[in-house]
Amino acid sequence: MGKIFDPQFMIEIIPDILKGIPYTLLIAVVAFFVGCVLGLIGAFAKIYRVPVLRQITAVYVSFIRGTPLIVQILLIYYAIPILVRVINARFGTNYDISWIPAVVFMLIAFSINAGAYLTESIRASILAIDKGQLEAAYSIGMSTWSAMIRIVLPQAVKVGLPVFANFFIGLMKDTSLAFTAAVPEIMGQAKIEAGRASRFFEAYIDAALIYWGLCLIFERLVALLEKHVSKSEKGVTK
Amino acid sequence: MIELHGVTKTFNKKTQVLKGIDLTVEEGQTVALIGSSGSGKSTLLRCINLLETPDTGTIRIGDYQFDAEHINHSVRKQVRTKTAMVFQNFGLFANKTALENVTEGLLVVQKKNREEANEIARRYLDKVGMADRANYYPTALSGGQKQRVGIARALALNPKIILFDEPTSALDPELVGEVLQVIRKVSEENVTMLVVTHEMDFARDVADRVAFMDDGQILEYGDPKEVFQNPKEERTKQFLQRYLQRFTYVI
Repeated sequence: MGKIFDPQFMIEIIPDILKGIPYTLLIAVVAFFVGCVLGLIGAFAKIYRVPVLRQITAVYVSFIRGTPLIVQILLIYYAIPILVRVINARFGTNYDISWIPAVVFMLIAFSINAGAYLTESIRASILAIDKGQLEAAYSIGMSTWSAMIRIVLPQAVKVGLPVFANFFIGLMKDTSLAFTAAVPEIMGQAKIEAGRASRFFEAYIDAALIYWGLCLIFERLVALLEKHVSKSEKGVTK
Repeated sequence: MIELHGVTKTFNKKTQVLKGIDLTVEEGQTVALIGSSGSGKSTLLRCINLLETPDTGTIRIGDYQFDAEHINHSVRKQVRTKTAMVFQNFGLFANKTALENVTEGLLVVQKKNREEANEIARRYLDKVGMADRANYYPTALSGGQKQRVGIARALALNPKIILFDEPTSALDPELVGEVLQVIRKVSEENVTMLVVTHEMDFARDVADRVAFMDDGQILEYGDPKEVFQNPKEERTKQFLQRYLQRFTYVI
């Protein structure tokens, strides 16, 4: 008859669960940056009412926001192999789906998901910068491109910083769903360890604490960054 | 020299804001554009540097002429490198210091090197009395100081014309003077300027010509003394009278 709760086991398996951190961070960071690129494209399509692209963006954002992340993950997980088979059948190629690691599927799924949410956040951040500055940039002969890169986006990033940070924290925790595709991130590792000894509660406590710790560290970093940002532009340089 | 012929602009297909504007600003002249709110003054100004696109008419800036019907990307670029604008709400870049606000156009548009751009920018900041605030961000400047940086930014580009869009309307009353003083100083150096303003004293004392705009048309144009003392049109008389009345209240 085993113990009801085994603290020793809980501590023992921590190093193994920590091995999942690189995967967690990899998915979160890649999805965030790819999402930012997709979000920028989506935001500009919406702001500048680009025909076709704007409609595509609207459907994309609506679909991603209207369906659960786990469903999107499963859709991507099953869609890509089917896509590869279709390509193989049509072009007579012989690509082997098993060569693609599961984490790649998750990178794609999370990036697509992040892009939709970031489209709205980025759009709002850009629109928060007063139009007068853009007009002033035009009036001195700057192109839309330079005005965006040099004037609007640097300010939009600062305005949106709390929102983006919040989103990243959410994303970091959402990566736990990647275990469904057998990616050995924190949650995946916890499940493996738990299954080995049939001690699930202990393993999940570890997982929870590790996620919490990661978020605390990240929040600390963001606080420092925000402090740094608000210090500049208030007053004088040099 | 700036020449406008038959410039029209309609918003939303029904509100005609400019009903055929002819206007000439000679080289080195300061022309004050006065008139009540909604008469189309700002729209006219913004049609010159194509922040608004006029529907019809021709505009000549120096030796560059274009039709409203043939405005494309390269026309916009051409026009905007030949003009500069001073905005009611300053339009300073919040992520740039006073100096960087002035150098921005010199670096990005005129492709000058940083050393040269800094030197030019410091010269013009000095001219508007802002040399000691070169490294301040806009948030650390008063309204009057912001506008003086805005004027330095416009001057530094050495444009054919500077368009002033109610440069003192967003300022606290005690800050209006310092900005008007700078504009007066600039006007004395024969910079070509078109100034939309509600400061009648300024229009009378500083401008070489005054244009009175009403309901999308220029009703009266001429020497400030002439326009202010012997307005020909009934509308001009009414408008000026209201302003004179306002002054008696102040006294």
